[in-house]
Amino acid sequence: MTAVPTTCPFCSCGCGFYLLTSNGQLVGVAPSETHPVSSGKLCARGWSAHEAALWGERVRQPLRRRNGKPESVSWDEALDHIAGRLKALIGAGKPVGVLGSPRATNEENYLAGKLARAGLQTNNVDFSYHSICGPLFAGLEEVWGEHTPTASLCDIASSQAILLLEGNLAETHPRAASSVIKAVENGAHLVTIGFRSTQMARRSSLHLQTTPGNEREVINGVLAAILDQQSEDPTRVAARGEGYEALWQDVRSVKRTDELRQAAEWIARAERATFLLACSDGQGDQPREVAAAFATLAAITGHLDRPGSGLLPLLARSNVRGACDMGVIPERLPGYDPLDDERARQRLQNLWGKKLPLDRGWGAENLLQSVSGLIVVADDPPSVVPMGRRAMDAMAGIEFLVVLDAFVTPTVRIAHAVLPIASFAETEGTLTNMEGRVQKLRTATNPPGEARMGWRVLAELCARFDIGNSYTSATDVLCEIAQAAPRYAGIEQRLSEDGWGGALLEDFDSAKFVVRPAGATRGAALASAGRPHVLVRDVAFDWGRDPLVSFSPTLSRDYQSERKLFPNGFVEMCKGDADALNLGGGRHVRLASVHGDAVVPIRVRADLKPGVLSVPYAFRDQVASVLGTDSVTAVNVEPP
Amino acid sequence: MNDAFLPDVARLVNVSDETPDTKTFTLRFRDLKNGGDFHFLPGQFLELSVFGYGEAPFCIASSPTRPQTLETTVRRTGQLTDALHRLGNGEEVGIRGPFGNGFDVEVARGKDLLFVAGGIGLPPLRSLIWNVLDERSRFGKVTILYGARTPTDLVYKRELEEWGKRSDVELHVTVDAAQPGWTGKVGVVPSLFKKVTLHPESTLAYVCGPPIMIRIAVQDLLALGFKEEAVISTLERMMQCGIGKCNHCAIGHRYVCRDGPVFNYGQIRELVE
Amino acid sequence: MAFAIEKRAITKWLQMLLESGEVIAPVRGPCGDILFSTIHSPEQVAWNFQNPLPPPKQFVLPQTDPLVTIKRNGERYEVAPTYDDTRRILFNVRSCDAKGIAFLTRMYEMEPADASYLRRANNLTIISLACNIPCPLGFCVCTGSGPFLSDSYDVQLTDLGESYLVEVGSEKGEAVVSGVPNLFRPATEDEVSQRKRLETEAKNHFEQETCHFASAMRRISTGRVQDALWEKMSDWCLECGGCNMVCPTCYCFSVKDLGRDGTWIRCRMWDSCQYAAFTLEASGHNPRAHRKERMKRRFFHKVSAQYYQRDAMVGCVGCGRCIKVCLGATNMPAVVGAIRKGKWNE
Repeated sequence: MTAVPTTCPFCSCGCGFYLLTSNGQLVGVAPSETHPVSSGKLCARGWSAHEAALWGERVRQPLRRRNGKPESVSWDEALDHIAGRLKALIGAGKPVGVLGSPRATNEENYLAGKLARAGLQTNNVDFSYHSICGPLFAGLEEVWGEHTPTASLCDIASSQAILLLEGNLAETHPRAASSVIKAVENGAHLVTIGFRSTQMARRSSLHLQTTPGNEREVINGVLAAILDQQSEDPTRVAARGEGYEALWQDVRSVKRTDELRQAAEWIARAERATFLLACSDGQGDQPREVAAAFATLAAITGHLDRPGSGLLPLLARSNVRGACDMGVIPERLPGYDPLDDERARQRLQNLWGKKLPLDRGWGAENLLQSVSGLIVVADDPPSVVPMGRRAMDAMAGIEFLVVLDAFVTPTVRIAHAVLPIASFAETEGTLTNMEGRVQKLRTATNPPGEARMGWRVLAELCARFDIGNSYTSATDVLCEIAQAAPRYAGIEQRLSEDGWGGALLEDFDSAKFVVRPAGATRGAALASAGRPHVLVRDVAFDWGRDPLVSFSPTLSRDYQSERKLFPNGFVEMCKGDADALNLGGGRHVRLASVHGDAVVPIRVRADLKPGVLSVPYAFRDQVASVLGTDSVTAVNVEPP
Repeated sequence: MNDAFLPDVARLVNVSDETPDTKTFTLRFRDLKNGGDFHFLPGQFLELSVFGYGEAPFCIASSPTRPQTLETTVRRTGQLTDALHRLGNGEEVGIRGPFGNGFDVEVARGKDLLFVAGGIGLPPLRSLIWNVLDERSRFGKVTILYGARTPTDLVYKRELEEWGKRSDVELHVTVDAAQPGWTGKVGVVPSLFKKVTLHPESTLAYVCGPPIMIRIAVQDLLALGFKEEAVISTLERMMQCGIGKCNHCAIGHRYVCRDGPVFNYGQIRELVE
Repeated sequence: MAFAIEKRAITKWLQMLLESGEVIAPVRGPCGDILFSTIHSPEQVAWNFQNPLPPPKQFVLPQTDPLVTIKRNGERYEVAPTYDDTRRILFNVRSCDAKGIAFLTRMYEMEPADASYLRRANNLTIISLACNIPCPLGFCVCTGSGPFLSDSYDVQLTDLGESYLVEVGSEKGEAVVSGVPNLFRPATEDEVSQRKRLETEAKNHFEQETCHFASAMRRISTGRVQDALWEKMSDWCLECGGCNMVCPTCYCFSVKDLGRDGTWIRCRMWDSCQYAAFTLEASGHNPRAHRKERMKRRFFHKVSAQYYQRDAMVGCVGCGRCIKVCLGATNMPAVVGAIRKGKWNE
């Protein structure tokens, strides 16, 4: 039995473990005590990490659709065909684009972006999860000019105060939840903010209950309470930033409660405090404003740059941060520099030897609906983008859809050309976790059939678009990344010096920051007499449709059963609401909002408050008529 | 050493429709003559492989007194049973087993026997019923109470007719909801108790069906004076290995695949969930 | 009859063992972890370390274990068991792990026996090293599985300084020390009493606060643990299944067919009773839908009198791995302690 050290491909905690193989075939997983993140532990997903690659339906051959049927072809034929078709579309003036992925490696994402910008000469490049995580990064950037965290996972366990704005940390990031539990065991004060009574909320010293849509009120409340304390005791003011005075005005009318005062007290008094921020859903500027206000909290309490303190964004998927850094975003270049940043453009144009297009590109959802040619790298957009099933309809209208993936996803099934790439267990490359830790994936076994490593396939596609390259390994690509993204400078050297092959990207100079309140301090009440409930789309990542879960026999059981029992999805409500509706034998309700209505099954959840209905992200399509383009809306609920 | 996970290959020799979603499959081992060496007790179950889909436990619905006819009745509920339903005569499946403790036929000799079944709960009892009917003189009174949601959902319709015509069997059939043409009783299965005269002190009651039906039937039987040891049922759990190793079917330290699936009510009450 | 072997002769012994089969020993890897691995030279064996976090059960019960091959041949299916008759020697394992494998073997020997497991176990020779200095998290003294063993080993070594005492516990153990007369000599009386002394000293190393199973076993076995306590404890569990994965005596599994297009391999794969879908039935009904119910199940299996009577040993070897691996706070000593006291320390 051979043990190959590698990085977990699931969430953004970035645990490490050993993939075990026997006679060249994946057998299982062994934990690592020396790994800086996992320290001997793994979550259920990690323990079954080997399963999808072993058991899943794999893409084995390059495929080309002829007369509606997929045919196996040679690599050369496939690559030539793809290049030919795309060039024809470009020549005809039709728009093309590229989607990277939060589950693709940095090397794959980087080359996808290079292919798009230098090869296809378009800025139509994005990744499906970006619309959800983008606002969080934008909020951080507003406050300290960077999209980067200021704390590590290991800071959590030794914190004395933790402020957690979450969906359900125990499910989304078990490793982080483990550290929160450790901290609480050691006497830390945990303050949770959310509309669910989650496991973390039950562990908290104080749970600040929100109603979907009014998170920013609560955060403003904590801000206000902190400012109060800082004005009462000037020695307490840990740090001022630009806009501090104006912030006072913004939160003047916010109601202070004892709870808010208590939370503020704990945060201010803590030597070490960590601020954990999940991606939130919401209309317009709200998610960005929430993130900015949360970051402001960390900043003005002096916890930004104090050792052992700081803010950590809870990103859903293993390489969300990496995808951002590699610039698979329409308005960002590798290095996360803005598209129109002259120095960045110069740097890349020199590096790539090509002029870069300047026109802004489309984001993922627009891409799917507007391009004639699209390359999708390791993703199944309909399961990730908010528009859900409509994305599948949109993709069906794309003239030429190319997919690179290891697994047969619904997107693979409708593609005109499919290129088989290696899964995480069979590839080389790096992932960047939510701490900004760049870590290696190592090859534990060979990919099936004729699948090749993704970086290699993308390099070959680049070559067909006149982007010469001489990469002989993923490391060569990483060396180029180090030149393209300044923060990654020297990363190859640093990785090779570390036993596990990981290195934290440099922290920024956090001395300067700008404070931001969370937008309007009084959000309009959503619910009304006519529509006394709110329906919220739970933005927690739909793991059930991710191939690493759906193809794992152990991990997919619950999801499969749920989707079998509820083929039309469901919405969740608390028992009190369900009983009050007198539904009798049937378990359906009619939801009616200002947008429209729908009849859906219901399920009772103990962690919801009365008046709040939640639809799991996986079933957002079932209530699309009710939500419209909103993520939370007021509804009337009655028997069907 | 026994390769406990190695299935024997069997062929379907007959497939008949019981209801729109239930079929009875007659199996014959490919490499055993007429099922000659395959000994089983009524109440035991098989792990049946639909090659390419996996394996699942199904009770043996035929009696050991008829070794040439190994039968199981399966409702279509998921991928595997769906694939099984699409198989036809001559096609091959895998069989492991027989597993489980089965019904204790010896202890039933000379006693009056009451069979209470609902819906898809009749198949496991059918193996015992035919065992009893094939050795009729060795048992006392035989009473069968059976019901389903609708007349369409009744399984073994032809056999029910046959049993109904026998003078040595008292049969009552009911449905929850009638359909056009149904002239029989309407009502839940436990409502049939008042139609029969029972002597609890000399009767063994076998109860199988949906959990709610079992619960009410058992309650009624105990109220009528049946002892807990005389009320016998079969339990169902998620299973994987069938040999008491994988722990999926464990309830306390009892394994439904090995200590069961047949339990009397006294044993059921002692199980530690 | 006890033997002894000089430490400097171990290399020779290992060389002989390497010629007779696959030798598995603790090996320090490039990332610093010690893992049980197949070795090719005696130098690879690590000696000074805490017990590896993954137990050696992978070598008798692989996480993905092929059982049967199924091939479609036109209209026919051919099925055949897979055989793993590899002769293996597990070298330098600790007492708890030797006991753990003995426990697993007992489980798989129980009727109906599992030939697939037994083939591996019968071809496995276990050479364990008793713990002179118990590990900080271990509580093997509470489970009768250490720091020294009186059974469940083929060969037990005790470190006497310059030499090892060699106790032979079975025919298999006999086989690996015989045929090499130059390496092994009868142990002296001093060496034998040194071994006894070391065992007493090792036992004394354990602190007062160990893991008192007896009262927890009584309460678990008689159903006297409050539901509210299970509920409370389960809220400190993150359902990772790690406890099952690293536990030397956990053996839950699922069976699934791997393959496609007419060729499949039926595999056993590790599973965890802590996962929500472990008891989920095809109908959608789940008798253990709540985490507290699954936690109650786990500790009933590990610590109940009913199982103790059935297995003649408690389902825990006190290795302490569940303490290291737990994402939450619900390791064996913590839960057993809470059951004893009737409350969970918060």
